[in-house]
Amino acid sequence: MSLVEVRELGVVYRRQGVDVHAVVGASLALERGRITGLVGESGCGKSSLARAIVGLVEPAAGEIVFDGKPLSPLRRGARPRHETRLQLVFQNPYSSLNPRRTVGSQIADGLRLRGEGERTDRRTRVGELLDQVGLSGGAAGRFPHQFSGGQRQRIAIARALAADPSVIVLDEPLSSLDASTQAQIANLLVGLTRDLELALLLISHDLAIVRHIADEVSVMYLGTIVEEGPTRELWSSPQHPYTEALIAAIPAADGSGTLPEALPGEVPDPASPPSGCRFHPRCPHAFARCPGEVPPLYALGPDRAAACFLRDPASTQTHEHEGVT
Amino acid sequence: MSLLEVEELRVRIRGERGEVTIVDGVDYTVEEGQVFGVAGESGSGKTISVLALLQLLPRGASTSGRAIYGGRDLLRLSGRALRRVRGRELAMVFQDPLTSLHPMLTIGRQLSEHVRVHEGASKRAALARAAELLAEVRIPDPERALHAFPHQFSGGMRQRVAIAGALATRPKLLIADEPTTALDVTVQAGILRLLDRLRRESGLAVILITHDLGVMSSIADHVSIFYAGRIVESGPTKELLSTPRHPYTRALLDALPHPVDDGRADLLAIPGLPPSPRSRPAGCAFHPRCAYAIDASRVQAPPLVTVGAARLLACHVDPFASPS
Repeated sequence: MSLVEVRELGVVYRRQGVDVHAVVGASLALERGRITGLVGESGCGKSSLARAIVGLVEPAAGEIVFDGKPLSPLRRGARPRHETRLQLVFQNPYSSLNPRRTVGSQIADGLRLRGEGERTDRRTRVGELLDQVGLSGGAAGRFPHQFSGGQRQRIAIARALAADPSVIVLDEPLSSLDASTQAQIANLLVGLTRDLELALLLISHDLAIVRHIADEVSVMYLGTIVEEGPTRELWSSPQHPYTEALIAAIPAADGSGTLPEALPGEVPDPASPPSGCRFHPRCPHAFARCPGEVPPLYALGPDRAAACFLRDPASTQTHEHEGVT
Repeated sequence: MSLLEVEELRVRIRGERGEVTIVDGVDYTVEEGQVFGVAGESGSGKTISVLALLQLLPRGASTSGRAIYGGRDLLRLSGRALRRVRGRELAMVFQDPLTSLHPMLTIGRQLSEHVRVHEGASKRAALARAAELLAEVRIPDPERALHAFPHQFSGGMRQRVAIAGALATRPKLLIADEPTTALDVTVQAGILRLLDRLRRESGLAVILITHDLGVMSSIADHVSIFYAGRIVESGPTKELLSTPRHPYTRALLDALPHPVDDGRADLLAIPGLPPSPRSRPAGCAFHPRCAYAIDASRVQAPPLVTVGAARLLACHVDPFASPS
């Protein structure tokens, strides 16, 4: 069984008296020692899904099972001990670190939370954690503003590690960093996942970095998961037109001078999503069936699935003339 | 003659702990209709070097050198002459369009005011021009958009509106600082296509600042790589990205996740951090992070010299020189 299982999850916000379905029937599994990428355009619900997984928002439907037990939403009181093993790292470490407290004392919070050891033991453990994320022990006595963006992201990761997590959800952890720093943090995440047997959920709109470090990828569009599969296969043969469009939009630094393909239109307002397949108004392959019916996730071999009628095994004739390859 | 010629540009900023050199002697030229790319990491001075052209530097900054545009030195303009050039012939677009759009004024009011101030058009004519501009940047239903406020648009649409505003006075040179960095790739592709169309149709020159070499590759004609306030390498985009000569350029490319599977397991991170302007290393500023550094690299800053057709390089070692 997977360490985290998200089953048919729904997240609903109320905006000006209208229910906005940010996440609709999303399922996802996180495994130990594996990195799962979650990609999609802004507003697709990926951050809402992340927040629900760590218990920051209460799901309106479905359930999240963590280590065999259903997850309870975060309340005012202390979190059940075993659930502190589920940690979240945000995009901007500067806004999630307290500017007036030393790095060491903030990392020690996670240790205190678990009631771990005496003050001196904690100090030793903080040093170990800093070392694990590639910072020197001297960093403990300094303040967040004395570090660069990449170093602050390392600190935020060390703080998450202090709670001895088995799952870390990272919401756009790399997007505010320079290319060379981004690569350092990406490599760090891969190393930690393997060494500590963590289950990592990496949320990002940067598909290139996800392709590079994720083992599995789920693609989200307007609240629903439209495709999932092992990274390499999903990349080399996307089965959903949206995945194909996302990949085609990435500019390659090869000096070829080719402009990336733009996807027509905008992500629709989740308060009034299109009927049927939510992607159909922007889809180059849409046909009669798409506005009328919601496509289920069709299984396409081991661990692969796509929610597109072109992949419906019951209708074979569509494959030839629509060819998403 | 080139549209813009920048020579020996230096920018110093006086701070609490003394004067800091941010831009340390930069030369380049921009031609009409050219997309001139400026790449580099944060703190490399790429943004400050273009803000200097528009005299938009923070208080306490001093510039030296020359920036010749239309026979005049942009760095020496003042008063009316400066206002006539800035915002009219030279326009700027920023990473976050909300910083250049007023949240409480309609799009129509903001765009038409710009036209009226710079071109003295009537209110009606200015509004018509505003609608025209919105159509030009492919905003759907421009007439309706005139009455909308910035918050009613998505990030990509706001950036289109900001570009429409910058184009209002038919500038000759657009300075775009990370214009697509905050956008999704799908939306970014649309903005890049828009910039490409504008330069082809109206001969607009663009100075494009971005740290994204993929963006550079798709649209820039020429790229200059900034490191620690200097240009370390420059050349035509295709050659520079396919056969980088400077160890820093090569390291930047190796650190990038490639969109096509190239079988690499790890990303090759550059060790260390880019230096802050306050503590730049002596000699070649890249030497502490460079695997090819020699004794001379630690002592003397290498000059930027011609190493091929339109290619310039500042490296004592030149480890990737093609055998000739």
